[in-house]
Amino acid sequence: MNIIVNELVAELIEKTRNHINRAEGFRTLSEKELNYRKSENTWSILECIEHLNLYGDFYNPEIKARIKKANTTPSEIFKSGILGNYFVNLMLPRKTLNKMKTFKDKNPLGSHLDKNILDRFSIQQKEYLELIEQSKNINLTKTKTSISISKLMTLRLGDTFRFITAHNERHLRQAENVLKEFAANKA
Amino acid sequence: MNPIQTLIDDLNTQNLWGKSIELKRNEYLKVKGSIDTNIYFVVNGSLRIFVLDALEEHTIRFGYKNNLIAALDSFLSEQPSDLYIQVLKNTTLKVLKKSVFMNFIASSSKNTKTWQLILENFALQQMERERDILTTSPVERYNRVLKRSPQLFQEIPNKYIASYLRMTPETLSRIKKS
Repeated sequence: MNIIVNELVAELIEKTRNHINRAEGFRTLSEKELNYRKSENTWSILECIEHLNLYGDFYNPEIKARIKKANTTPSEIFKSGILGNYFVNLMLPRKTLNKMKTFKDKNPLGSHLDKNILDRFSIQQKEYLELIEQSKNINLTKTKTSISISKLMTLRLGDTFRFITAHNERHLRQAENVLKEFAANKA
Repeated sequence: MNPIQTLIDDLNTQNLWGKSIELKRNEYLKVKGSIDTNIYFVVNGSLRIFVLDALEEHTIRFGYKNNLIAALDSFLSEQPSDLYIQVLKNTTLKVLKKSVFMNFIASSSKNTKTWQLILENFALQQMERERDILTTSPVERYNRVLKRSPQLFQEIPNKYIASYLRMTPETLSRIKKS
């Protein structure tokens, strides 16, 4: 699948702006709302955000290093890979959020969490915007990155960006659903 | 009369504003890397424009009720810009598209003149701002800005004014007390 790079970049930036704003909205919530869990094994709002932070801890430095090392020239077209596109589609939330398995090291369940989680998210997303900016100087198709779920595979940087942004969307929706459940339980 | 006020009045008279946008406290109107060629009128609320340098925020400008605000670099060049525009308290904006604005400016010699005056004032303000930044003494930096924009100190929380003045919030509160 071919995607025009300028359009992809503009879309990633606009989605990230939206994600930052939605997480900023959580700042007005009480500790009780932020830590509410529907059941023992499901995540609270802060755990959803911390899960994204754990991903950012992996991907931001990984992408940064790959961009720094890249010796490629930009192209107007990004060619999405078969595997990359598959992962992006898998990650994109459907109308009703389907469950997915989380890898153990990315599971924040039961960690001690406070509003610093939201600060961390905001900083990471700004770093992420910085990386999108830097990627304008290199080739999104030819530059590859490792992925968190397997040491054997790499994804094209354009797909890595699409994957991360879809993943952010998924878990922000999950967090918003937790808030709805909290409100419904209270009523 | 202040040419910006003339401009706003004439835009109102001709009813050229597009949709309204509502943003809550801390939300972003614009982030780094995006193209934004709109002009915004602040119906109520307040905003700040900043850039990030190694994750440190440098506040460049503020906007509050009845001001116009824009990512001016992007507005002029129609290219992506580094600017962040963040809402400091719940804010309502009216949007004016660049194409509509440029038609308005070209539609009469009065409008063209008004726009020229605004740009001239803007160049003068930028020179004042350059002087701010080159002023070594924090107290003097504070006095320059207080004299120029007393309203700023009514509208904007200290920590952002401190960032604009290139000093820590502690230094700012010490200067304000003395």
